[in-house]
Amino acid sequence: MTDFALTLSDVAGRGVGPLSLGLVPGEIAGLVGPAGAGKTTLLRMAAGSVRPRTGAIRAWGITVNHPAARRVVGYASDSPVFPPSLTVREVVTYYARLHCTLSDERSPVGLTREALEIAGLGPAADIRVEALGRADRHRLGLAQAALGGRRVLLLDEMLSGLDGFARRDLSGRIAALAAAGVAVLITARDPAALERLASRVLVLRKGRIVRAGPLATLLGERVLEVILDAPPPEPPPGFRVTAAGIEAPLAGRTVEAALALCRAHRLPVRATRVRVKSLEEVVLETHDTH
Amino acid sequence: MRFLRCVHAEFLLVLPRLTRTRLGMVLLSLGATLVWLSAHGLDPLAAILQAGALGAIVAAVEIVGPEDDRAAFATALTHPTTSIAVATGRCISIVLPAAALALGCAVAVGRHFGTALAGLATAAAVGGCAMAVVLLLGNTAALALFLFMTVAGTIAPERLVALAQPGVVRLTAASALELGPALWHYRDIATGDLDALVHALAWSGLGILLASALITRRIHR
Repeated sequence: MTDFALTLSDVAGRGVGPLSLGLVPGEIAGLVGPAGAGKTTLLRMAAGSVRPRTGAIRAWGITVNHPAARRVVGYASDSPVFPPSLTVREVVTYYARLHCTLSDERSPVGLTREALEIAGLGPAADIRVEALGRADRHRLGLAQAALGGRRVLLLDEMLSGLDGFARRDLSGRIAALAAAGVAVLITARDPAALERLASRVLVLRKGRIVRAGPLATLLGERVLEVILDAPPPEPPPGFRVTAAGIEAPLAGRTVEAALALCRAHRLPVRATRVRVKSLEEVVLETHDTH
Repeated sequence: MRFLRCVHAEFLLVLPRLTRTRLGMVLLSLGATLVWLSAHGLDPLAAILQAGALGAIVAAVEIVGPEDDRAAFATALTHPTTSIAVATGRCISIVLPAAALALGCAVAVGRHFGTALAGLATAAAVGGCAMAVVLLLGNTAALALFLFMTVAGTIAPERLVALAQPGVVRLTAASALELGPALWHYRDIATGDLDALVHALAWSGLGILLASALITRRIHR
């Protein structure tokens, strides 16, 4: 039997659920859905900040509301806020002190150094929080969440609103933590942010998981794009009109069969290409069909 | 022991706040003003008590008043600490600069140990109360508390009863002065009144408990 890093069993309350899910060590699960779907509430429940009406949430067997769970579960909110007059190092040291006990071999200085390294905040360590940019605020959020070797990370919109470089850097750091055995549950309003990171995706709508599966399976579907010289008066059955022409999921049929349909409708085909469906398309389709 | 370590971690943030925000400068200005006033007719004991009380209110505004500082409670409580430890640490962070200001004023005006103790007790009582008030009602309420401590807090309830006409308002005001942290009450600590000292410590403890409840309520919203 697999030891789960995080389990949510029949959790319901505050517009979320009932739902159940489990995260194994080293897994990165992406939680996607529109604003108001319940992603943040679900994460806050998993972090023990909000109590569900029913159900049980455990991190490595410990109920998340138990103080001991705070040593295991790290949470970074979607809008990370820290005391503005302190420097990055002072903020991380403050949290590190909360993790150390007298019998502990770890020192706040050591934990701080480790957390700054994990988040890539070394060069910004002596900058005041009020002067930090968005990406560094998210890095600080990651540093405090991962502090003290926590084994479950709940990251709320960690990659949202970042430029491509910062997003790639943070994704790499999260992936490195997962490679070391940390289970990660990360939310994103923009599913594209998770396409190169999550190994499993859960689509949330109105507080319920309406679709879930490994990313490779969800993105397995192919789409035929047909570029036309002129927009069609009416697309062939199964196709939809796009800016450059029409497109349709192949869904079992061959490219030749789909093109034959276009020819039968006397469409002026200039070019065609087959691409893999994006996660955003999968999520939007799931949302529309539920 | 864990509780004390968490309180200590919270308290250690006071130094950067003192030196990097306007808190340090405001406290110094307040102290200088009170010493100057005591040299120009203000009762030295009143100046020391005002230093403790007003210093605590200013510190509460700077330490728990900013929205970012309050929002950061939620992140702190995802770590191994408790809201009571956070509230206690913040209360000490508020009281200590105010107590230092009261001591500084006591030294400057050349008063004895009992007077300094009265200043410290005042800082503790008003610090706890101001922290709860700022967390509950915001900085505007702190301004009202500041004005109250500057003017009304020095008036004993007996004087109010003698001044005003009988009625519900008078009784309410007199009760507030009797029960709440007020400078007229803490003057007696200088002459060894233990009841007044207990009253001050009770307000400090009550402030911590209230603040702890408010922090818990805030993060579970």
